Amino acid sequence: MRRGTFVRWGVPIAAAAVIGAAIGAGPVIAAVSGEPTLPERSAEQLLADAAAATVKDQGMRPMSGTVQQTASLGLPALPATGGDTGPLSLLSGTHEVKVWYGGENKIRVAMPTHLNETNLIYNGDQSWYWDSAANTATRLRIKADTGERPGLPTPQPTDMTPQQAAQRLLAQVDEHTAVRVINNAEVAGRPVYQLVLAPKAGASLVQEVRIALDGETYMPLQVQLYAKGSAEPAYQVGFTQVTFTPPAPENFTFTPPAGAKVKEATIGEENIGQKAEERAEHAADMAGKAKMVGDGWTTVAVVPFSLSDLQAQAAGKDGQAGQDGRGTQANALLDSVLKSATPVNGTWGSGKLIRTKLLTALLTDDGRLLAGAVTPEELVRVAGTQ
Amino acid sequence: MSTAETRTQAGAGAAAAGQLRRMPGLVPVTETLRTVERRAPEPLTRDADEDAGEGTGGFTGGDAAGGLRIGAFWRLLGSELALTFRRPRNMALLAVLGVVPVILGIGLRLASSTAGDGEMGGVVQNLAGNSLMLTFLSFSFLVLLLMPVAVSVVAGDAIAGEAGGGTLRYLLAAPAGRGRLLAVKYLNAVVFGYAVTAVVAVTALLTGLALFPGGSVTLLSGTTITVGEGLLRILLAVGYVGAAMAALAAVALALSTFTEVAIGAIAGTLVLLVVCQVVRAVPALAPVTPYLLPTRFTDFDGVLRDPVDYAALRDGLLSFAAYIALFGSIAWARFSGKDITS
Amino acid sequence: MTPVTVTGTTQEAGAPFGAAPPAGDSSAAIVTRGLTKRFRGGQVAVDALDLTVPRGSVYGFLGPNGSGKTTTIRMLLGLITPTAGTYDVLGLPPARALPRVGALVEGPAFYPYLSGEANLMRFDAADPSARRATARRRIADALDRVGLSAAAGKRYRNYSLGMRQRLAIAAALLGPRELLILDEPTNGLDPQGTREVRALVKEIAADGTTVFVSSHLLAEIEQMCTHAAIMRSGRLVVQGTIGSLSAGRVPLIRVETPDVAEAARVLGELGLSGVQAGAGELTAELGGQRPEMINAALVGQEVAVRGLAVVRPSLEDVFVGLTGEGFDVDG
Repeated sequence: MRRGTFVRWGVPIAAAAVIGAAIGAGPVIAAVSGEPTLPERSAEQLLADAAAATVKDQGMRPMSGTVQQTASLGLPALPATGGDTGPLSLLSGTHEVKVWYGGENKIRVAMPTHLNETNLIYNGDQSWYWDSAANTATRLRIKADTGERPGLPTPQPTDMTPQQAAQRLLAQVDEHTAVRVINNAEVAGRPVYQLVLAPKAGASLVQEVRIALDGETYMPLQVQLYAKGSAEPAYQVGFTQVTFTPPAPENFTFTPPAGAKVKEATIGEENIGQKAEERAEHAADMAGKAKMVGDGWTTVAVVPFSLSDLQAQAAGKDGQAGQDGRGTQANALLDSVLKSATPVNGTWGSGKLIRTKLLTALLTDDGRLLAGAVTPEELVRVAGTQ
Repeated sequence: MSTAETRTQAGAGAAAAGQLRRMPGLVPVTETLRTVERRAPEPLTRDADEDAGEGTGGFTGGDAAGGLRIGAFWRLLGSELALTFRRPRNMALLAVLGVVPVILGIGLRLASSTAGDGEMGGVVQNLAGNSLMLTFLSFSFLVLLLMPVAVSVVAGDAIAGEAGGGTLRYLLAAPAGRGRLLAVKYLNAVVFGYAVTAVVAVTALLTGLALFPGGSVTLLSGTTITVGEGLLRILLAVGYVGAAMAALAAVALALSTFTEVAIGAIAGTLVLLVVCQVVRAVPALAPVTPYLLPTRFTDFDGVLRDPVDYAALRDGLLSFAAYIALFGSIAWARFSGKDITS
Repeated sequence: MTPVTVTGTTQEAGAPFGAAPPAGDSSAAIVTRGLTKRFRGGQVAVDALDLTVPRGSVYGFLGPNGSGKTTTIRMLLGLITPTAGTYDVLGLPPARALPRVGALVEGPAFYPYLSGEANLMRFDAADPSARRATARRRIADALDRVGLSAAAGKRYRNYSLGMRQRLAIAAALLGPRELLILDEPTNGLDPQGTREVRALVKEIAADGTTVFVSSHLLAEIEQMCTHAAIMRSGRLVVQGTIGSLSAGRVPLIRVETPDVAEAARVLGELGLSGVQAGAGELTAELGGQRPEMINAALVGQEVAVRGLAVVRPSLEDVFVGLTGEGFDVDG
């Protein structure tokens, strides 16, 4: 009888094992086999090959895929108020966008959420932004005389695509960084080279940055940011699924559906929304006042800053933009961030220290904000040198 | 039955059967009839019975006809379905689920006629222009709680209800066969799950057609498709949501084999469901959410995208299949070895 | 317990129901070897049970409540897995034999919202060897047999306890059964119902069906059965034909006569031992003598025989003799 019992329960246990194996198959197989799936390359060769491939293909190859962005920055938990689409929500959790790329002037990016979808379709001279929640189609015109090549407009922060994130990070490769290449990794089921950039400075909070380049097309498929002392990436954006076949042309055509509101907007002349404009102005304003201390990975930004101003601003925003909940969310975030801050003091005075996995910020009582991807000790040291 | 494996048989040559051994006086137990001579059993055939008796016909041997066995399986399933769909409680559940889309439709109709532009959410605005949208809206409204309640009532009741009523012992003595009974019970729950889904879809569709102007359907991606294609996509969504209910039914059925109190299995399933929802709402537990069953329930909206998000549908169906395999085998392991003492 | 008057010999005891076992099948309807059930709490409900139920017998399975009767029956029907031991039903593994076995286990259980007929249809559907085409006729026959035809369309919920019991027996009679396992079939029945069930059992047995009937009522078993087994605390105390069970206790002949002394002399001459004289009657051990010969001898010696009876000890006497304690009916 006992034997029979064991045999019987063996079936669900086997089922669980098979399911577990199926879920973990990708990473497990990659880890177990471990054999280099690609010929070895130095970082330099790799980048050169990538550049050559880009030239040969005249930019990116047509492709489509799903990009997933995961952030676990160690921020205090956000109150779950402001829906899935707020930009602040990108700071935690997992988000997915679908990308179709049909060549230089044919791009579609869709952000699907439950019973909802935001689309950005760029097709040569025609660009549309479609928000199914608002039932609104916005015709985007790119101002012709800006003289610059139109960047990839995306519905969310612009570093969402791995291409751009990779470019940005590659630009920082210099004497501050140790670079190596891993040739047995896999992203979205494809063998990739991983370019690993590790800061040399000990005060940096960044352990390393990994950029995965497709082994065949050299297209960046994934960027991962590892914080010191954590095995999982603090921030990751990359393809979970990708195919290098030209997507169907229907993806790049858009006709506003009957009954939808149609708006017009021109990029470069006036911004899509007032809020974005305000935000940009504010950012420019801040940038003017900011001062950079140090270099490379341990750069610390020092900004004149008043806590009460910020609170007032958040409150004002709240009243003005309560409709989409973003103001509320910002305010709530601010509150919870301040709650988690630890008071510090030194010869330079005293202040509040906010730490996350990748970023440390110090609000001094004399009206300065210091922030950088550095250890709290480094930040306090910088505060003292001012 | 594992006893069958360990059963020892008298040798085939022991043919001197047919004589009752007499008991000479009081027979102490230790000496009882160990020496009874027995024939090796022969395969059971009923041909003699059938030939001989007009009154005893209607039974056939176990090995006689595979076709009959399959027929008997469908007969039991038919009996099960009749029991499920004639039971007032289950019909009340279906009726409630049929009424909700109607209420939803009327509510939205009233809201859209009173509210001005811009005050309404996108889905509602969508609805104003396309009648088929009410089906998807009803699904998204019902798929996380009300439909699972109906399905777990039937699936959770499947074994526990029979055990609690004592009918399980008679079914098994009939003999229904444990694997067969479990399979029939599960298929019955799956059919009920699809019935629930179909009832919601059909009433929502009819309400939508009655209350909102027909015509073309706008997808979430902003693309417009014909009504025919829209109906096809509703069919896809029904298939997907029904599969989701089938996965839930497997969980409820597994719980049902662990108790003799039907309400316990039903409540257990619903508690699991609510716990899953709570876990999904906690950001810190985000890594777990892709593996939770309810996470996939709402992915039917993949059919509303252009192109249809088959990847999401496939992932959902795969996860349903995994849940069905896991909980189905748990139910089987438990039920096939369970001592029926009720 | 009243003494039972037996007119035949032990060999003839089974004769009224002694239809020959169907050809091609083994002689025993049920054989268990070392059948043991230990429940999860460690409680041993059935302990190394060796039962042999001959074909064609009406087999009484006796024991106080809680003595392991129902657990044994559940094992025979495949509802409970034995902890140890093996068993055959109708010479087959139980799973294969079950279509030929009708059963009533621990009282009736049906769907209250279905009619009696619909309930039977439901259980008939559960039997893979039953044909749908003949279901209606077989159900009608079974209902007729238990006298429920008039109430066939009534909801089970509205059945009286006796009707429920009858319906359960009808369910056991849905097909041609070779073995009928009835657990406490007269439970909850009034005296009239009890008599009817007894008659039904005899009728079924007369068709050659083996009937295995459990009860905690000794009298009931004595009246119905050809064979019996007695359980106590999970163990088999004794089994055998009703006659043989009592045979261990010496049967007595009791003579009622005014001429006690003369009768005692005659009996002594006939070679009967243990002659005991009382007021107006005397008893002696019957031994191998035939009662009618004793009667003839007494009459021949001009003893006025007012009454003559063979007295067998009741099953209760057997039980008390074997265990040294009374049969605790209330368990």
